[in-house]
Amino acid sequence: MIAVLQFGLVLGLAPLIHGALASLRARLQGRPGPSPLQPYRDLRKLWLKEAISPADGSPLVTAIPGVVLGVALTFAALLPALAGPRPFVIDAIALALVLALGRFALVLAALDTRSSFAAMASSREMTFASLTEAPLIVALVSGGGALAAAALMLVMLAETARIPVDNGETHYELTMVHEGLALEYSGWQLALVQAAAYIRQASFVVLAALLLPGGPAFAFLWIAAILTLLPLVERLYAKMRLFDVPQLFASATVLALASIGLRLAGHGAW
Amino acid sequence: MSEVSGVRSFHCATLLATAVLAVIAMGLAGRPETSIVPLVAPALRLDFATTLPALPFLALIALVVPAVALWGLRRGAPSDGSRLALFVVTMIGVFLAQSVAAFFLAWEAMAVVSAFLIAAHHERRAVRRALLSYLIVSQLGAFCILTALAILGAHAGSAQFSAIAHTAAGIPAGTRSAVIALALIGFGSKAGLVPLHFWLPRAHPVAPANASALLSGVMLNVAVYGLLVTGFVLAAPVPEAWALVVLAVGLVTAVTGALYAAVDTDIKRLLAYSSIENIGIITSALGLALAAAELGLTALAELAVVALLLHMLSHGVFKALLFLGAGTVAEAARTTDLDQLGGLGRALPFSTPLVLAGCLAAAALPPLSGFASEWLVFRSFILGLGTAPLMLQAAIALAIAMLGLTSGLAALAFAKLFGIAFLGAPRANHAVDAEAMDASVVGLGWLAAVATVLGVAPMLAVGPLISIARGLSGNVAVDTGALASLPSTAIVLPLLGAVAAVLIARARGVRGVPTWSCGSPATARAQYTATAFSKPLRRIFRCVLFPERQRVVDIGISRWFPLRIRYAVTTRDTLDESARNVAAFVQRLARRTRIVQAGRLRIYVAYAVVAMLVLLVIAR
Repeated sequence: MIAVLQFGLVLGLAPLIHGALASLRARLQGRPGPSPLQPYRDLRKLWLKEAISPADGSPLVTAIPGVVLGVALTFAALLPALAGPRPFVIDAIALALVLALGRFALVLAALDTRSSFAAMASSREMTFASLTEAPLIVALVSGGGALAAAALMLVMLAETARIPVDNGETHYELTMVHEGLALEYSGWQLALVQAAAYIRQASFVVLAALLLPGGPAFAFLWIAAILTLLPLVERLYAKMRLFDVPQLFASATVLALASIGLRLAGHGAW
Repeated sequence: MSEVSGVRSFHCATLLATAVLAVIAMGLAGRPETSIVPLVAPALRLDFATTLPALPFLALIALVVPAVALWGLRRGAPSDGSRLALFVVTMIGVFLAQSVAAFFLAWEAMAVVSAFLIAAHHERRAVRRALLSYLIVSQLGAFCILTALAILGAHAGSAQFSAIAHTAAGIPAGTRSAVIALALIGFGSKAGLVPLHFWLPRAHPVAPANASALLSGVMLNVAVYGLLVTGFVLAAPVPEAWALVVLAVGLVTAVTGALYAAVDTDIKRLLAYSSIENIGIITSALGLALAAAELGLTALAELAVVALLLHMLSHGVFKALLFLGAGTVAEAARTTDLDQLGGLGRALPFSTPLVLAGCLAAAALPPLSGFASEWLVFRSFILGLGTAPLMLQAAIALAIAMLGLTSGLAALAFAKLFGIAFLGAPRANHAVDAEAMDASVVGLGWLAAVATVLGVAPMLAVGPLISIARGLSGNVAVDTGALASLPSTAIVLPLLGAVAAVLIARARGVRGVPTWSCGSPATARAQYTATAFSKPLRRIFRCVLFPERQRVVDIGISRWFPLRIRYAVTTRDTLDESARNVAAFVQRLARRTRIVQAGRLRIYVAYAVVAMLVLLVIAR
């Protein structure tokens, strides 16, 4: 029952979380910024619009927005209950590989468009993903702690297209990664891809809160903290150079391994 | 549809018969050994029987060989079938062999026949070079295996495997270490474990596709079988230190193979590197199983054995599928160079979805077999994280990270393979022969179906595998409940989403427009290539890959309007190079020592006299 409720909340609030992050970031940058409810309006607008797609594409391309959304829903469904016991149990491998399926599908769609921008984005996306899979899995099997949560949040920066890895605000083709993958999707098809991105982001926030110490009592505090931290990072840092990003993921792997190391040494809370 | 020639059908029927042979051999499990004992030299006795550990490997042959035969009905050289059949028979021989002489005989026969398969186009220099490196590695390995088996036989006082297994517990520590080291080198060289992997990426691009399918899909697993039987039967128990060595070698092999697969641009070489990666995964699970068995963690050992056998089956099936698919591509487009290929999906409407299934399996994505098997491999490591002693747990944590990196890199490699070659617009390959629905497609379809069934219902294979693993590591119940529900948790929603997206597209329509390319037309020349796709990775791992680029600009009359620009990137396989350096050193050494072989009778007589004098002095 709690699991179903949480699943519904993650789905329903995912656009709001994205809106709140964008709004808070704008405030921190000294702009009025959009309303936190803007993503709902965006989704509605996109859903009502006609979809256009490169002519002569593979039949695969039509199915892929659905796959991507299905993967995001699976992620939300796999999340353990925030009110549940710690350390929580999650099928980390199934999660990592299902997320990889969504990414693989979107990359294939991007490569089918013949656009070099989309292909460039897919090359970068796969490169980052090949390096984030290890810290993601290790952080989730470590049994939790602050270090594991830190590792997961570094992975989250890449998975949710945030500074310093990517910049979701720009629409400059040469620098886009996440936006670039969906470059040729539009209208209701883009709405599916966007909704998937919102749900994935919200699920990552919940997962990071689950990893942090303190148990269910602190869960909502941690979510609030993460939602403040992300725009702060984006306010304080610039986008990293592409070839410097792997260092970020190397640090994430080391943090996740250190989390296991500390648990083996008997300091589980960290 | 043109008629299939009689010769071709005959050869393919021969190949198909070997699959039947494998099934018959499986049916003979539990029967007493068939022995041939020569009167003069009883140590050279030949014993054959079907044992428990051989069953999954025979099953793999029975699954893969029919597809190769079907593919051969339409494609490949007409007379390939019989040669491949001989090869399969020698492999079955290795699985059935139950004495030192029988095993070695079958092993060497397999090595020789496989060399003939690789040498199919021996008129080309690259083929002869690949063959030479294969033969050197193969013979070095065979020598190590023979020595290991001879030591075991001498200790047991019998050449029969059953006798060796009985006395295995009493082998002195030093002897045991020597045997395990020799077996690791011997079987590792055939399996393609780093640093003895370098023959694989050379042999596969030059071997015919159907031979590659069997070499990579089945023969590498013969070596895995050898390691498994040595570790769990002939030289059991393996000390923990050696188990950790096996684990480390497996992990390094997995990461190396995945990394080179991710940056390679030839389909068949990419697949060869991917085989190295998967053998690495299997070997690391074997290392975990051996360590767990030695420490008395039977449940962990059993799970790891089941995981490695499932991954062995899964890899054998999808790799055969992908190599046969690569053969179809090579015949239709006359190249396997990813930088020249594009948009094959239109010309190969039947094979393309089947190759996609193979790519999904190789990238360990749901709902294909690779997903279930890699999930189980990870699962066994995670189980170890909770139960093993502290040092092993630390090693397991590192192993999980390395396996994570491996699966990430593999996903990149196969996104590149499928996305670049089969999607988008044609590149240099304008003239691709359109394919018809024929036997070769049915062959691919069979393997894709097996890979799907193994992914959707892994319990079908895991049930029997558990009873085999139990025979090797003790009698414990493994909890595989999560595996049974795995496919439904992982695939239902994405599949429903896909169906929904297609239905909505039907209802609302999607308008076709030109691709956005900042106002200029999106031409095939501007499309991303495989080289460009893996560029970030080449740069990130440049400390291992040593990428070098060549740019040749044909200036013509003006520097600003060059006539032609040629751009090539090469990466270096450092381990391959060091192996070549060792070979060159041995050759130099041999040339030096040739001075003593002057070829004159007087000098040889002098050698004999000197040797006699030395002997007399020593024996005085």
